[in-house]
Amino acid sequence: MTDTEKNPELASFTVDGKPLSAPKGSNLLDAMVAHGIEISYFCYHPGLSVVAQCRQCLVEIKGQPKLAPACQSIVMPGMEVISSSEKVLAARRQMLEFTLVNHPIDCPICDKAGECALQRQYMDWDAKGSRIDHAKVRKGKKVDLGPRIVLDQERCILCTRCVRFCAEIAKSPQLTISQRGNHSLLTTPPGHRLDNPYSLNTVDICPVGALTDKDFRFQVRVWNLSATLSVCNGCASGCLCEIHHFRNKIYRLVPRRLVDVNLNWMCDYGRSTYKAQASDRLTLPRVEGKDASFEDALARAAGKLGSLEGEARAGIGLVLGADLANEDAFVATRLGLEFLAGAQLYLAAEPDTSEGDAILRSADPNPNRRGVSACARGKLRSAADLARDLSEGKLRVLYVLSDKLHLPPEALEKLRGLELVAVQASHPGELVKRANVVLPACVWEEVDGTVTSAAGRTSRMRAAVTPPGAAKPHWEILVRLARRLGLTLDYATPRAIFDALRVEVEELKGAEWGKDLPPQLLRFAGSRG
Amino acid sequence: MAKVVSIKRGLWEQLYLPELVRGVGITLKHFFVNTFGSKEIVTVRYPEEKREYPPRFRGVHRLMKREDGSVRCVACMMCSTICPAQCIYIVAGERGDGTAIEKVPVSFDIDELICVVCGMCVEACPCDAIRMDTGRHYPPVDRRDQAFMQKEDLLAAGGPNVAVQGGAGPDWRESYRPLGSDRQIYDREGKLAKQIKGS
Repeated sequence: MTDTEKNPELASFTVDGKPLSAPKGSNLLDAMVAHGIEISYFCYHPGLSVVAQCRQCLVEIKGQPKLAPACQSIVMPGMEVISSSEKVLAARRQMLEFTLVNHPIDCPICDKAGECALQRQYMDWDAKGSRIDHAKVRKGKKVDLGPRIVLDQERCILCTRCVRFCAEIAKSPQLTISQRGNHSLLTTPPGHRLDNPYSLNTVDICPVGALTDKDFRFQVRVWNLSATLSVCNGCASGCLCEIHHFRNKIYRLVPRRLVDVNLNWMCDYGRSTYKAQASDRLTLPRVEGKDASFEDALARAAGKLGSLEGEARAGIGLVLGADLANEDAFVATRLGLEFLAGAQLYLAAEPDTSEGDAILRSADPNPNRRGVSACARGKLRSAADLARDLSEGKLRVLYVLSDKLHLPPEALEKLRGLELVAVQASHPGELVKRANVVLPACVWEEVDGTVTSAAGRTSRMRAAVTPPGAAKPHWEILVRLARRLGLTLDYATPRAIFDALRVEVEELKGAEWGKDLPPQLLRFAGSRG
Repeated sequence: MAKVVSIKRGLWEQLYLPELVRGVGITLKHFFVNTFGSKEIVTVRYPEEKREYPPRFRGVHRLMKREDGSVRCVACMMCSTICPAQCIYIVAGERGDGTAIEKVPVSFDIDELICVVCGMCVEACPCDAIRMDTGRHYPPVDRRDQAFMQKEDLLAAGGPNVAVQGGAGPDWRESYRPLGSDRQIYDREGKLAKQIKGS
C-alpha cells in the first residue's frame, strides 16, 4: 500500500523519477526540501509569503512549456518534476551568475561568511570565475538603518525577505526596495527607521550579509561559534533559542524553530539578554561586605538559620525569584517547607510590562513564574506581602534567591533591623548592597535545568558557558547550605532534582528532561542561511 | 636471534701501540686542519658567523602596510582559523575614517612560543597582510608574556605592499599574466631585485 492510499490527504508526485508524496496543496519547494532533495533558493522562506523573486529554484514540470519556480508551485497528484536536467541546472547557474553581478564578494570581512546562502549556493552549483568585465554598480556601504541594524546595500541580492518580514510578521512595513533594475536598493521609506521590536530577525533571514546586527558586527567569525540549544529567559513565552558562544563568551542568541511557540522568530529584547551574562557579575561570596570563601559565607548563613528552632522559624523569610529554574525552585521549596518548616515563602517577580504583544512577547517578563509557583505548590506569597511583613517586623532572617526582588525604600530600610540578610544573586543591586551574606549565583546561560512558560510548556536550558569566578547554580548553593545545616538534601545533578520534582509536583508530571546535546560547532553544522 | 660476529685481528693490531699512534695521528690531522682553516670545514662559528638562509625561509612574522602606512590586515581571521597551533589572537573593530575599508584589527597578537612556524597564516591571508619573510629568528625571552608579538611590533617590521589596493578592478584581464610569463622578484624592502624571463 502506498502512502497516498493510506492517507487520502497526500498527493503523490515524482521528482527526477523518484516517487514522493506530500500533503495536497503543499508547496513544491517545501516538499522537496522535506524529502532531502537539494535545491537552491534565496527569496523563499517557510514563514513568509511567496514572491518567486530570485528565480533560483527553477524546475521543469511536465506539461508546462517554461521552467517554473518550485517555491510558487503547488504539489498536485501525478505531477512530474525534473530538478536536475541540464536545462534546469544551466538556468540556475545563470541566475546565480546574474545575482552575483553586483555583489561585492567581500566575504573576508562579511559577518555572514560561513553561514551565507549565496556563498553556499555558489560553491554547490557554480564555483566558476566571474565573466563580468564591467564595473559593479556602487551602492551605500554601512547604511545606518536603525538602532540595531547596519545595511550594506552592495551585498543585498534583493530577495525581499526582510521587506516581507517587516510587513507580514512584525506588522510594521519599515523596509522597501527603491530605484529600478541594476540600481535597485533596499532602504527605509523617507522618515522611517528600522526600529520595530522584531527587526533583528531580518538579519537572520538575510541570505547574504547585507543586514548586520550592530552588536554582532565584526565581533567573531561564525565558523568559530558553537551553538548550545536553550530557552530564552527574556519573558514568559519560552522561545527556543541557540546560544552562540566562542572561548567561553556569548556572542548572540538566535531563534530555533519551535512550531507552536516561536516559529522561526525571536524578539530583539530577547536577543539582547545575553549581555547581562558578561557584565558586572558577582564572582566571589561576601560576608559583611568583605570577600570571603564559599565555606565561610555558608557557615555564616547556616549558623543563623540553624539557630532558629520551632516557633522562631516563622521569622525566616525565603524569597524565590520568578527567574529561577524549576530545579532551583524545587530545592528551595523543600528546604523552606520540609527542613525549615514554618518559614515564610515569597515570590519575587518583575511586574508585568507593556512590552507584551500578539506576536511573541509575553507581558510577563519573568521566564518561570509558572514553574516556580508550581514547585512551591501554592505556598508563595507576593513581594508586597514581604514588604508588609518587613515593615510590621515579623521577619528575623531573610534569604533571597533572586536578582528580581525590588523592595520599596522603607522596606529596604527595615532590612538593617534583621538578624541576617543572605542573598544568592548574579548581579549587584540594592539588596546585595544591604546583605550580610552574598553568594554569587549563575545566570541561565550557565546552567542545566528546565523552565515552564506561561503557556505551561516546560523546556530545557543547557549550559553554554562556565560561570565567572566562584559563581554556582542556585540549587548547588542550597544543597551545600543544607549540608551545613546537617540536612539531607543531597542532589548531585539538576537531572536528579528534575526526576524528583517530576514525581512530586503535580503540574510538571508530563515534563521531559530532553536530550543532552553537546554544543555543536557551526563549522560542522552546515550553513544556517 | 642476534648474530655474533667475532673480529679477527692480526698481529700488528694486537700489538696495540702502533694502532694507537695511528689514531692519534688522525685526531691531530683534524686538529691542525680545523685550527689553521680549510675549505673542508662544514660547521660555522655561530653566532659570530651566520649561514645564509634560503629566500623562502620562514622567520618571525610581520604585518604589511597600505600606501598610507595603515595596517593592511582586515581582521578576516583566516590566519587564526587555519593556524594549527591556535596562536593568533585578533580583535576586530571599525576603521571608522570614512574610507571604503571598514574592518581593521584593533589588536593582533601572535604567541611566538606556540607558533610552529608552518607558514599557513601567510598562505591563508587574502590581503598579503601577514608575512614571515623577515629572515629573523624569534629572539629568546625572559618572561612568558614577552613571547607575544603585538600589532605594533608586527607593524614595525612591515613595509609597504606592492599589491594594488582594492584589486585590479574590472580590467583585471588586461593586467593578468598567466603562469610562465615574465616575473619580477622584490626584496624585503619592496625594491625590484630580480627580473625572471618567462618560459
